[in-house]
Amino acid sequence: MASLLRQLARTVRPSLVRNGVCSTSVLYKHTESTEAPGETRPTVRKPDLLARSQLKDFGKYVAECLPKYIQKVQITAGDELELLIVPEGVLPVLQFLKDHHNAQFANITDITALDVPSREYRFELVYNLLSLRFNSRIRVKTYTDELTPIDSACDIYKGANWYEREVWDMYGVFFANHPDLRRILTDYGFEGHPQRKDFPLSGYVEVRYDDEKKRVVVEPLELAQEFRRFELSAPWEQFPNFRNAPPAAEEIKVEEKK
Amino acid sequence: MAGAIKKTTGLTGLAVAKHPHHTLGVLYGKILRTLQKMPEEAAYRKYTEEIICERAEVLKRNSSVEGVEKQIKCGQVEELIVQAENELILARKMLTWKPWEPLLKEAPANQWVWPPAKPPKTG
Amino acid sequence: MSSHAIRAGTKQVRPILSTDRHEARQRVLNLYKAWYRQLPYIVKQYDIPKSVDSLKQKLREEFRKNDHLQDIRVIDMLVVKGQMELKETVNFWKQKGTFMSYFKDTVEPKPKDFLSKFLSGHN
Repeated sequence: MASLLRQLARTVRPSLVRNGVCSTSVLYKHTESTEAPGETRPTVRKPDLLARSQLKDFGKYVAECLPKYIQKVQITAGDELELLIVPEGVLPVLQFLKDHHNAQFANITDITALDVPSREYRFELVYNLLSLRFNSRIRVKTYTDELTPIDSACDIYKGANWYEREVWDMYGVFFANHPDLRRILTDYGFEGHPQRKDFPLSGYVEVRYDDEKKRVVVEPLELAQEFRRFELSAPWEQFPNFRNAPPAAEEIKVEEKK
Repeated sequence: MAGAIKKTTGLTGLAVAKHPHHTLGVLYGKILRTLQKMPEEAAYRKYTEEIICERAEVLKRNSSVEGVEKQIKCGQVEELIVQAENELILARKMLTWKPWEPLLKEAPANQWVWPPAKPPKTG
Repeated sequence: MSSHAIRAGTKQVRPILSTDRHEARQRVLNLYKAWYRQLPYIVKQYDIPKSVDSLKQKLREEFRKNDHLQDIRVIDMLVVKGQMELKETVNFWKQKGTFMSYFKDTVEPKPKDFLSKFLSGHN
């Protein structure tokens, strides 16, 4: 990422290249203050403006390189870059981010998912990557549903193996071509995928020791459902401090070519 | 220290390269030849060619390994070789993926909305 | 025109394993056979008070439970889960109690008529 910035800087200062100094050695000069001006509250994290502008540039760069797969580029929480991609593009995008000279996100820190049942594709898959070379992180998001398989990233990142098993176990997202897809967190014989929003709080079955049988038995669980309708709206405002909170994400416009 | 034979890279699993100039030159040549097969206006080809040409230029100008490392400023020469190998693999895969084509499909409405949009009331 | 309408009506989806009904059926039969062949070993390994015949009957019952399914992807998903379960069973990752949960021999039948419902406190 920093290298990308240096790339951009080079177009401004071509003379340095002629002096025998490679463009990738042009270091960015810290001239302006890098903290957001408006924020004064001591408990609120101040986004790093420099990192933010670099991330913006990098987001545009990736979107330009891979227009086939990237639907949207956005910045969340002030300075976290997110690439929102089509489900078919998981492998190309991850491979690009890992192997490209200007990215080198060689480290996968996490794969997770979230379940939003109101959407057409209810699961959102999140890949968190780390680039040690450029000291920078990026998040890749895509979507799927219960029956749409997603390509496994195990061939690209060895570390993705267990994370994908975890997602399979918790959400039931099927990963195609995974070398060893099976449960990882739940017990053998467990029913359902616990992180789905429609999974009941108590589970489908309960387990107890039976004195007669001298073994553990599994029995279906029934809870009375009559009193489970909750009224969540209140006459007062729940979070007045967040009344003027900025939106969660800020989209980076990628200019269309031609 | 200059001129002393390098014994280790200090990185686990990364052996000292015997002929770094030759290896890098071959790799950069291969990458450039792979990129030739991509369409001219592909952004990936454009940017990668730029990086590779620049690095190849530095490689040509400097006969010493230290000089190359200092000017490219992207790690030791062994790491540069690894990066070039990765880029070569990527470029070859890109030929089959063709990422310069237009977007495959738009996301369904409300897919990327946060907080999640309420589902349309039915009935 | 009509073909266009049909195309608009059907959704293009990515298959999990099988591309047509025949293939899906073949997978289900293969899974059934694999389970069937393992049953004698399972009885021996788990030391359960069941005969091979009752296990065969149970196996049939479990497969019959889903015989109304038409969607190939749903069938594939169940086959995948069935394979995982077979692996867990054969490798003895499961324990006796977990395996016996297929039989549900401690579950009391649900009250059906008025009086037994009344006595059990359900309505």
